[in-house]
Amino acid sequence: MSGIEVHQTVLANGLQLLGEVNRNNKSAALGFFVKTGSRDEAQKESGVSHFLEHMMFKGTAKRNALELTFQMGNIGAQSNAFTSEENTVYYASIIPRRFAEMQEILCDMLRPALDQQEFDTEKKVILEEIALYQDRPQFYMFEKALGDFFGAHPAGNSVLGSAESISAVTRDEMADYFKRRYSPSNMVLTASGNFDWQRFVADAEKYCSKWEDFRTERKLARRTPGKVAKIYKRKNVKQTHVLMLADGCGAQDEERFAMTVLSTIIGDSSGSRLYWELIDSGLADGAGSDSDEKDGVGCFMAYASTEPEKLDRVAEILRRIVSTPLEFSEGDLERARTKLCARIVLSGELPLGRLMALGNEWNYNRRIHSLREVMERIKSVSRTDIENAVKRYPLRDWSEFRLVPE
Amino acid sequence: MPSIEKLANGLTLIVEEIPHSESAAYELSIPGGMVLDPEDRIGACLILAELNARGAGNLDSKQLSNAFEEAGIRHAESADHDRFALRGSLLAEKLPRALELVSWIVLQPAHDPDEIESIQNVLLQELGSLVDHPAQRALVELGKRYYPAPFGRPSLGTEEGIRATTLQDLKSQWTQKFKPEGAVLSVAGKVTSAEVRKLAEQYFGEWSGKGPCLPEFGKLPPHRAFHVPFDSAQLQIALAYPSARFGDPDYYAAKVTTGLLSGGMFGRLFIEVREKRGLCYSVYARHGSTRNYGTVTVYAGTTAERAHETFEVTVKELRGLKGTVTEEELDRAKANLSAALVIGEESTASRASSNAFDWWIGGTVRTLDEIQAGIDAVTVASVDRYLERFPANSFMSLTLGSRELALS
Repeated sequence: MSGIEVHQTVLANGLQLLGEVNRNNKSAALGFFVKTGSRDEAQKESGVSHFLEHMMFKGTAKRNALELTFQMGNIGAQSNAFTSEENTVYYASIIPRRFAEMQEILCDMLRPALDQQEFDTEKKVILEEIALYQDRPQFYMFEKALGDFFGAHPAGNSVLGSAESISAVTRDEMADYFKRRYSPSNMVLTASGNFDWQRFVADAEKYCSKWEDFRTERKLARRTPGKVAKIYKRKNVKQTHVLMLADGCGAQDEERFAMTVLSTIIGDSSGSRLYWELIDSGLADGAGSDSDEKDGVGCFMAYASTEPEKLDRVAEILRRIVSTPLEFSEGDLERARTKLCARIVLSGELPLGRLMALGNEWNYNRRIHSLREVMERIKSVSRTDIENAVKRYPLRDWSEFRLVPE
Repeated sequence: MPSIEKLANGLTLIVEEIPHSESAAYELSIPGGMVLDPEDRIGACLILAELNARGAGNLDSKQLSNAFEEAGIRHAESADHDRFALRGSLLAEKLPRALELVSWIVLQPAHDPDEIESIQNVLLQELGSLVDHPAQRALVELGKRYYPAPFGRPSLGTEEGIRATTLQDLKSQWTQKFKPEGAVLSVAGKVTSAEVRKLAEQYFGEWSGKGPCLPEFGKLPPHRAFHVPFDSAQLQIALAYPSARFGDPDYYAAKVTTGLLSGGMFGRLFIEVREKRGLCYSVYARHGSTRNYGTVTVYAGTTAERAHETFEVTVKELRGLKGTVTEEELDRAKANLSAALVIGEESTASRASSNAFDWWIGGTVRTLDEIQAGIDAVTVASVDRYLERFPANSFMSLTLGSRELALS
C-alpha cells in the first residue's frame, strides 16, 4: 500500500472531487456518485431514478446516443451505472492514457438531453427489465419484502418501479426530477488508480464549474418500529425463500464496523454460523446475512433458500441464529476480522474497488477513509463493541418474509 | 513473462511475479470434471470437489475451513467442464500456509462418508433451482443439445447421476484423477519463482502418477430448433454456432468479431436490438473456447409479443457482418478488447487464473503483450476471412417460455 496519495477538493458550485492515486495500477477508474435514488421519488414517479440512469447514456446537447456510445467504445472505456434506493452511480474503468477523454465524456453525460424519441424507446427497455426480474423469484421477494418492511419509510421504495408507473411517467416529469436532484453539491466525482490529480481537478473545473448549484433535500428518519410477516406466492417456482429483517444501524453510525463483523460471523458465504447449520448440513442451497446500512436508517437481514418441504425447519434455524447474535467465540470473531481485512486489501488493489469504497463513504460521511483506516477499524472491533452495537440495535423484533409456490 | 517448469513428478508450475502487489493468488487445475464423469454418474465430480475440502490431513471439515480463514485465505474449489480447480487469493506472506492446506485437500482428503448426503442435498437443490433462473436454464438446455456427448453435459450435473454416486465411486475417481502429471499449479503475485518452486516441491513433491486423458471431441450434432415450454414473463432465445478455437489462426479475429457484435454498449446487437428498437434489456453474443472447440453463443430475453422481431433483428445482424465492417468500427472493437485486457488482468487472481487457463487449453501461456499483438493484427480482411470460415448461416436454437417461436 505504499505510494498511494489521497486528495480532495471542492469546486465553487459544491461539486466535491476525490482522488486516490496509485501509480502501481495499470488502469484507473472514475465515477459520479449522485446521492439520489428511489427513496427520493414521489409515489407517482416510482422508478424514475433508474430510468433516468438509462437516459444518461442516450445523448447530451453535444452528442447523440450513438456518438456517446461510440466515443466511449473508441477509447476502450468499460463503463456502466447502477441505481439503488439512495445512490445512482455512473462509472468507468479506463486505461491511463485515455483517462482525460473519459472524464470529458462522463462530465458531458451528466447533463443529459432527455430526447423524447430516445425516452420512448428506452421506456420499452425498462419494461423488459421489469419483466426479466418478474421471472427471478429471489429478487422479487427481496424487493417486495423491503417495501413491506419499511412501509411508509421511503428506504424500501422499489428501484425499478412498476410497469404501470414506468408506462405513465413522462419525459417532462423526468426532467423535473433531474432538476430537483442532480445538483453538483449532491454528488461527488471520484477517481482512483493511475491518473493525474492536478489534471483531473483542472478538467472537472473546465467541464462542471458552470453547473448550477441548488439545494437538495432528503428527509432522514428512522423506520416506524413494528414487526411484519408476509408470505408471497409465485407460480412456477421451484425453491422457496425466507428472509428475516430487523432494524439495524445506518451508514453514519459508529456501530457499522461492529455490525459488519457480526454479519460476517452470522452469515458469510463460508465458515459462518448460517453456513455450518444450513449449507454444510445440506438443508439449504443458499444462506447469508448482511448489515444493510443506508442513509440514516438500516436493516440487518438474514435469508435462506431451500426446498418447500424444508422451509419450516430452515426458517426455524434462521430465526434461532439471528435471535442469538452474541453466540460466538473469540476464534469466530478473529476469523471474521481477518477475512474482512484480507478482502479489503484484495479489492483495494483494483481501482474500481477503491472507487466504490471512496465514493460511498463520502456520500454518507463526507470523509475519506483510507484503506489502512478501514482495516484498522475492522481489526479493532471487539466483543464489547458488538455487544454495544446489539444493545443499540437489539436484533430482537424480526420481521419474516417467505416466498412459496402458488 | 511468467516462468513455466515441470517438477520431477510431472506437475507443471507457472509463476508470474508481480512485485508491487501485496497479494498472491493460486489456481491448481487437475484433469477431471464433468466430461470425465461415468455416464451414469454425471455430477459425481461436483460431489468429489466439495468432499475433498470437508476435512483433509489431520483436520476435520470445520478445522480445515477455519485454517483457511485464520490465514485470511479466500479459498474455493470447483469441478468445471474438464478439470477440478482449487483457487485462492491471499496476502502474499500466507502462500506457504495456503499451499500446505491445498496439498492436504489434494493428497490426504478425509472422504468422510457422513458428509456425502448433505453435499448431494445441496447439489440437488441447486440443480432444481435452475427452474428459477430461466436465462441460465435456456443456455444449459441449448448446451445439452448443441455439443456431442459428453461435452454438452450440464455444469450442475444430473439428478440421477448425483443421487447414484456412492463413496466408492468418489474414492475411485479421486484415485484415478488426482495426479500431478497433467495437472498445473499457477501462482501470481508478490512471490518469486524460486520461492514458489521450493514450496511446490515441499508440499507436492511426494505426489505421483499420471492423470486421465480427456475424451476426443466428436462431431457436432446437426443444427435444429428446440422449444422448452415454461410459463414466464419473458421468452428466452439462445443460439449457438461454431467458431475458431484457442490456437486457431482466426482466434483473435473471432474475439474481435464478437466484440463487433456485442462489445461494450457499441456492439451491433446492442445498438440494433436494444438501443434503436428497445426490444430487450439483455442481448449479447459471447465467444468461448475450450481445448476442443470454439463457439459463439447468442442470448436475448424478451416478452413474447416482441420475440419474433428480436429474433429477426438478431439473426440479420449476425449474418450481415461479413463485408460490412468499417475500419472505424473495427478499431473500436479492438480498443475495447485491449482495454478490457489491461483492466481485467489487474488482479493477481485474474493473472493466476488466466495463466492456468491458457496452459490448460493451449499448452502455452501468453503474456499480455502477446495477446495485445494478436488483437492488433486483426484487420477487416481477417474478420471477413473468419466470417467466411464460421458463418452464422446455420445455428442450433432454443427458446424457453410460454409461447413457441417459429424460428427460421
